[in-house]
Amino acid sequence: MTLDCREVRNRLVDHLRGRLDADAQHELEAHLATCADCAHANEVERLLDDALEHRLPARPASAALRERIAAMSVPAPRRQWWRGALVPALAVAAALVLTVPALVYRQLASLRATATAAMVDEAVADHLRIAQAQRPLEVESGGIHQVRPWFEGRLDFSPVVPFDGDAVVPLRGGALAYFRDRRAAAFIYGLRQHTITLLVFRADGLPWPRTGLARIGGVDAYRTRERGFTVILWRAGDLGYALVSDADPAELTQIAARFSPGV
Amino acid sequence: MAEGPGRDAVAREGLAHLDALHRLARYLTGRDADAEDLVQETYARAFAGAERFVSGTNVKAWLFRILRNTFISEHRRRRASPIVAAPEVMERAPASEETWLRDDLELDRLRKVVGAEIEAALLSLGEEARTVVLLDLEDMSEHEIAVVLDCPVGTVKSRLSRARAALRQRLRDYAR
Repeated sequence: MTLDCREVRNRLVDHLRGRLDADAQHELEAHLATCADCAHANEVERLLDDALEHRLPARPASAALRERIAAMSVPAPRRQWWRGALVPALAVAAALVLTVPALVYRQLASLRATATAAMVDEAVADHLRIAQAQRPLEVESGGIHQVRPWFEGRLDFSPVVPFDGDAVVPLRGGALAYFRDRRAAAFIYGLRQHTITLLVFRADGLPWPRTGLARIGGVDAYRTRERGFTVILWRAGDLGYALVSDADPAELTQIAARFSPGV
Repeated sequence: MAEGPGRDAVAREGLAHLDALHRLARYLTGRDADAEDLVQETYARAFAGAERFVSGTNVKAWLFRILRNTFISEHRRRRASPIVAAPEVMERAPASEETWLRDDLELDRLRKVVGAEIEAALLSLGEEARTVVLLDLEDMSEHEIAVVLDCPVGTVKSRLSRARAALRQRLRDYAR
């Protein structure tokens, strides 16, 4: 016998994983055939593997988390488009613009519309996640002067929120959120029984809608309905804003105007 | 947003490992909400750092390494209480010692162990032991595990062996 028991024990997991070469495998199996202690140890390892592989709860990611991660992994289509092939892309684009400009225009508009829909989706998903979380508010509100400083050091930008909440629309608190690939500050307000989420995030690199905009307060905003929620998107300076709620659309629009005062 | 071949690789392959990453996150944090936060932060960091990722290298090990480092830096800092639930002493019991019962009691016990018991046993181990057991369960090689744990390849085997011995010990304790 060339292997001692200690060596055999050290190789049992490798043996079970099939990592031993043919000679070592053969040698080990020969030892197991003659040594009851090592054979027992091997069986213990095998049964432990079996319990871990087949009985330990798998705890897979939820569908909602998968959706959020998938949204993070898709770069804005406009930028992805050019990648790696600038010259051919320009040539093709030029040819298309010369021959069928309407088609190109429609194509670009549809790409942008898809990307905008993804932004709207993400805003609703964030809102739902915060509203349905067991402990939605990472900082309970004692007013905006408590909530805003809480974000310091947790974000790489300073969230500007012109509306501090009032008796009708009280600020309930704040939480960290993600918007696509970036961190966002979530401010949570109440409106009677409704929850209003305001997400604030860096605006650059996102496929902001260019058409269908309406003047709300001091900004050109994009307003839409999605899964029973009203979503209002706008940008101001370097920051992007998404306001989401199941409150009445007209009422939410009036509230949005207070978040985006005229300049 | 980072772009380039690294980002492509991360975007293409990253999602394939979501369930495995979530599983480790869930067993590290012990809570659904914390696990989701940890996974999301892991992907945020991965996409943010994707430019530095060298295409052709191991996306899986790289993602697990980010997850573990994020857990250690963020999670421990956020919580007042330490994550490690159980004394580490048990795990240091040398695996080469005779920790196997010669009789059939342990074999019988292992055959009958239910999911909740093995889960509780795993959660009672220290962070490193939980990690090494789960990475091994994900079919990761010793080299890949060494990348995640940031340790020499040579010490992965002994860490795994200690962790599994501790796991068996816990399961045996439940049986009494």
